[in-house]
Amino acid sequence: MSNITDSDSPKRPWLHLAIPISIVACFALFFVLPDNSKPGDGIQFQGNEVDEGSSLTEGATYYIFASEIELESTNAKGDPWDAGENGPDIKYRILWKGNEVFQSEEKDDSLIADWSGLSIDFDWSDLAGKTISTDEAIKAARIRNEKEGVIELVVEDDDVVDDDMAGRVEIKLDELKVGLNKRKLSKTPTNAVKRINIQVLPQGSSLKDLVDLMR
Amino acid sequence: MSKVRLLILFSSAFLGIGLVAPTISIEPRAGEFTWLVELWDQEATEIVTYSIFGAIRDLYRMDNLFLALVLGLFSVVFPVFKLSLYWLATVHHPNSNSVASLLKWTARLSKFSMVEVLFLALLILTVKALPGGSEATIEWGTYLFVASALGSMIVPMLFEKPERNGAN
Repeated sequence: MSNITDSDSPKRPWLHLAIPISIVACFALFFVLPDNSKPGDGIQFQGNEVDEGSSLTEGATYYIFASEIELESTNAKGDPWDAGENGPDIKYRILWKGNEVFQSEEKDDSLIADWSGLSIDFDWSDLAGKTISTDEAIKAARIRNEKEGVIELVVEDDDVVDDDMAGRVEIKLDELKVGLNKRKLSKTPTNAVKRINIQVLPQGSSLKDLVDLMR
Repeated sequence: MSKVRLLILFSSAFLGIGLVAPTISIEPRAGEFTWLVELWDQEATEIVTYSIFGAIRDLYRMDNLFLALVLGLFSVVFPVFKLSLYWLATVHHPNSNSVASLLKWTARLSKFSMVEVLFLALLILTVKALPGGSEATIEWGTYLFVASALGSMIVPMLFEKPERNGAN
């Protein structure tokens, strides 16, 4: 039988207790410190990060659409937009290199029209399951930024007989930035567009980033 | 350095990393309507990875104080305290009464050492039972945590050897 007593006990037991605690804490800190991602925030985004406010990269492709267009109270000639008291039915087209690359939906009887740039064509049969790509969901022109590239935004009042031109705006691509671009315009004999908000989104961005930018 | 101390140090290191490393990933799904949910709120279907510390912190933030306390106690406080008691036992003479007393205490704590693993197993079972095909996946941090728990189970077996030799 052992007759050993506790006379050999350490004088500072708490110091020894602290050793494993320190090891646990050190390894936890050593593992956490180099990694800035917080635990529990393991959200993984697909697609490229969007750097809002940055200039467009040459050679890169972008989604461009007008998120909001405001017209003057009368058309360029100073006449009412529609017969009676109806407001204009606003729609716009985007031309690139002389080709129409996008046409918006029409917004009825409005001086301020807005487009989300994000919509899906939904069919009841899709309830059985549907996969949607970002390209399908984005309702915007797809433009590649080339040197001295220019796009034209043609705003019209959609009429049954003939569409009235509200304004035609030429936009240099190198003046645009990723995200929201606001333009104020003056009324002239050929222009009745008061204000245009243009959204520029890089192609290949995650749907979440695009949705965030469109808000 | 003795085998026992080395094992305690390794178990402590594994525990330290295991507490902050990714432990479980949850991928929420909404069955056939997953695409619709993704379009409405992409974050709702994104894979979320939790560490044990992250889970405790999030439970606390969600006002689930009881669960945060239980998980914190069983997966952090008890295992760390147990390893500390083992270390303290190594500085006493192997056949001293203090070691026997400390081992008795740690044996009591050992009963709770795998509660966190049981918690994870229950969580995975719950997530898998949810409609819509949600998935829960064990991450590598869990294996480190289990390795630490297994290590601290082996430690008392190594302590017993001198006692048996002394008896013979």
